[in-house]
This record gives sequence, structure tokens and C-alpha cells, in this order.
Amino acid sequence: MHFLDLTIHEMHLALVAKQVTPKELVLEALKRAKNNQDQAFEMITETTALAQVASLGEPEVDNPFWGIPFVLKDNFSTQGLETTASSNILKGYIPLFDAKVYEKLRDAKAILIGKTTLDELAMGGSGTTGHLGKTYNPYDPLHERQVGGSSAGSASSVAAGIAPLGLGSDTGDSVRKPASYAGLVGFKPTWGLISRYGLFPFAPSLDHVGFFTRSVLDAALTQDLLQGHDVHDATSFSGPVKKNAPLLNGQVQGIKIAIIKEVMDAIVDAEIKEQFYVTVSKLKNLGATVEEISIPLTLLNAIYPTYITISCCEATSNNANLDGIKFGPGFPAKTYIEAMTQARTLGFSELIKRRFVIGSYALLKENQDVLFVRAQKARRMIVNALQKIYQQFDVIYLPASPTIAPKFTDAADRLSSTYLIADSHLALGNFAGLPSITLPIGLKQGFPYGANVMSRAYEDLTALNVALAIETMMGLKNLKAERKHL
Amino acid sequence: MKKVTKAILQDAAARLMFTLSDEQLEVLLNEFDILVQQMELIGHLEGVDVLEPMTFPFDVTVDDLRPDEPTQPLTQTEALQNASSKIAGQIKLPKVV
Repeated sequence: MHFLDLTIHEMHLALVAKQVTPKELVLEALKRAKNNQDQAFEMITETTALAQVASLGEPEVDNPFWGIPFVLKDNFSTQGLETTASSNILKGYIPLFDAKVYEKLRDAKAILIGKTTLDELAMGGSGTTGHLGKTYNPYDPLHERQVGGSSAGSASSVAAGIAPLGLGSDTGDSVRKPASYAGLVGFKPTWGLISRYGLFPFAPSLDHVGFFTRSVLDAALTQDLLQGHDVHDATSFSGPVKKNAPLLNGQVQGIKIAIIKEVMDAIVDAEIKEQFYVTVSKLKNLGATVEEISIPLTLLNAIYPTYITISCCEATSNNANLDGIKFGPGFPAKTYIEAMTQARTLGFSELIKRRFVIGSYALLKENQDVLFVRAQKARRMIVNALQKIYQQFDVIYLPASPTIAPKFTDAADRLSSTYLIADSHLALGNFAGLPSITLPIGLKQGFPYGANVMSRAYEDLTALNVALAIETMMGLKNLKAERKHL
Repeated sequence: MKKVTKAILQDAAARLMFTLSDEQLEVLLNEFDILVQQMELIGHLEGVDVLEPMTFPFDVTVDDLRPDEPTQPLTQTEALQNASSKIAGQIKLPKVV
């Protein structure tokens, strides 16, 4: 095993003990990234990585990110490095500033290995719609299965052992669902705790920064580094924040856990359900109280349409600045209207155009009240139901996905309970801005699947502690796909 | 709500400043059939229309002003850096009149 195969915390200990150098880690990470067959990268940042490594001094004992390789979803701005959000409309765009989270990682002397692929403009959940094509699940050498999306490349590369940390963004489940398919910890802290400055907006009322790690402790360490007020993000939380990693203990004695019965009913896969209930029994043995509760089906069936309506409306508006004139590829034309129409017709994929039309249609004056505004009201109703649960329970605990990673050829029945409820419930965390963490609980036919813990806003530590308890009792920590690193 | 037709979708695309091929419009029309059925599920929520629309997960109040510190804005070179067509220090567009 190479030192690069360790978790962030373990790698930090090895760096401080001088068992390995940052240069050795970075060279191995670059080698693996270059050999990657899963189409996880938009760009490998070899030059900047080697320059940064050369500038490092002595190991910093109190800085767990010193010399740690990481990857960044290509919808975070990086000064001087092309940032496309996997869309042709941003081809050649070089940001003039850094996203806050990138700045924090760089200041902590973590080393960027590459910028990763995504579903175009982060609008998708399959990892198939980026301008480079499909991103593959590293657990499947046959390349038949998705890794999920939209943070596909970050999930794929962390699961392939290229880096122990990958940043993503999560508007509906774009970190937490791929985490389930890739055997990773995927965490999005409370909305507002981490600055979104420099993250390309998809739907700002739902967008969160999230990240992939291979252990719960690493997730806590990453939150501790990235959180904090930022004057450049008007939605950034300005109150005091505390570090969670030093307080993390995995204690669940007395924790009250709710399981939503209707979500469980919507899951067909018996093996996943059975394994989930194994974790429930173990949590009970550790002193947690677990109860199955009910939410009206009408409310759960409304999650997906509420999400798609709000997110498409916000996206339509937010991406109006992508006109191919101020940035992006220019096209020869006789009028500025023709120039913009050319750029947007050729720059966006068909799927993105369809999403924009949906958003535009829902925003039409005659439709707005029955579509966009009604979806915002439905969001309120759904969140009110969640808050009622949190009056009695500390966390909601559910399978993160109803299946293992689907095949590219699998077609979902989009009006089924599995699609509308079991595949969509993670968006609850975006509606209410709640801390939500996915972690692996089992493997089926060699493919991982996860469970998700969601706690009250600003009680991120509670979610982390329940997740740590599950990780410890299941022993599924630091999972990686077995791929040969040539 | 208006019945969704190809003409409506084409009009929406035109206002969004892109075009859709006939094939793409067909796919979109089929997608709308499902979407409309999904969206009707929201209408089944009893009492939904009396609620206040939720625009953000929760209020984030900003009750302090940031220090009034002068900062360096983008230079002209930087502002033009990503434009594909420029002339005399400005972004160049086709003639309007």
C-alpha cells in the first residue's frame, strides 16, 4: 500500500513523522490521475502542484492539510486555471479570482491535483452530460455503471485513490448520492456555513459546498477548515462556528433517530434494506433510540417536482450571463443577438437547454403562481413537516440510494415511488439547509451503497457523531476501488 | 396553466436565446408530459396555497457593515481577458445600427 492510500488524518501523521514527503504523495497522485481511465478530470494541474510542493517548508503538526493532495470540481473558480463547469459555453474561460474554498485549501498548503468533471453546469445526477462525455464508476472496469453526479469526477477520483479529498457542490444530492455509489463519505454541512464565493451558481437557494472523503473524521476536519464567515458571500453565516473534529467521539447514547417509513417502503432492493436495518440494530445496541415515523405520501411525492421546478427556475435566471461575449467561445455573427444565440445554441447541451426551457416556462407570468410560486410554497410545507420531526428526534436516518450504482442503460420509471421518493429524498437536506452526510454501509456484487444521516441546522456535530458510530461498527472506512495504478 | 405545445416551447427557447431542433422539441414535449404529471402532485397538497413561499432555507441576517476599505478592482486588461473579440480596449460586438 502507498501512503497516498491513507485517509487525510493518517496521511498527515505520516507526513509529520517524515515517513513520506508531500512530493512523493503528489508524484504518485499525478501518476494515478494521468493513468485514470474513468474520465474523471477536466484538467490535471501538474505544473501548479509541483511548484506548490517545491515551496513547502517543514511539516506543520497542527495543520492536517499540509501537503495533502486534493481534487476540485470544475465549477469552482481557480485564478489562472481554465474553469468550464464541463460546458462548452465556458470553454477557454479563465477566472480572475479564486473560490473561497480553494483559497482556504491552498492557504492550508493542500495541493491541487486536478479539476474534475461534472454534469454540465452541475445540472444532472448521472455524470453523463459533461462536455467530455461519461464519467465512470471506478468499481466497474467494464464501464457499464454510473458513479452518479453531478460531482462525478470528484467522486470517481477519490474512490479510485487518486486523492483523499474531493470537493463538490450539492444542490439536490450531487455529493451525497455519488458518495453512496462510490463507497465514500459525502458531506454537505449546514447551508451558509461554507462560503459559496466563486462557486458557479446553479440554484442558490439550494446550492451547498460539499466534499468527498474516505472517513468521517476527514469530513469533520474538512468542514473545520472550510467553514467560516465570508464577506464576499451574502448568505454566509456570520455567527460563531466551532471546530467539530476535536469534539467528534461517535457517541450515540440517548440520540433519537427517526426513520421515514414511506421512504423505506419505496425501496425495492431487499439486500440494501436488510443491511440498513442491521445498522439500525447496532445503533440501538449503542444506546440510540430508533423509531419509524410517517410523512404523508402526498408530501413525499412532491419532493422531486418541487426540486425540479425551483432549481430549473433559478438556473434559467442564473445562467443568463452565459452569452459567449464577455467570456466563452465567440462566434462570428452579423448582430449581437445572433452572436449570443449562436453561443448559447452551440454552447449548451440539449439537456441543459431542456432544463432552461422548463424553468422559463414555469416563470411565465401565466404559469408562475401554479408552478414556481406553488413549488416554493410546497417547499415550505415539506420543511415544516421536517421541523416537526426534529422537535422529537435528533437525526433522520435513511438509505442514501435505493440501489447500487445504476447502469448507463438503466431507465427509471419517473412516476414511480422509487424515483419520486427513494431516489429524491436527499433533496430534503437542500430544502431545509440541513447538515447531511452519506457513508458506506455495505457492498452488493462488489458495488458499494450508503446510508445518510441528517441532523438539525447548525448541529453538524450530531450528524457526524452518528456517522462515526456507523463507520466504526460497520468497519467500512477508507474504501477504494481495486484498480491497478500502473 | 397553458397547454404545452411545440410553439410555446419554441417561443421559450427563443426568449432564452437558443434554438432547438424539431427532434429536440419532440423530446422536450414528451418530457413535459411527465413533468406536468409530476408537477400536478404539488397541487394535491392540501393547504399548500395559503403558505408563504420559501425562498431560502432560513434567514441569514447581516447586521454589520464590512469595513470601508479601498480595494483594487479589475484592470481593463483583466476585464477583457476572457472576451473573444475586443477592439480599442473594449469588447467588440457586431454593429447594432
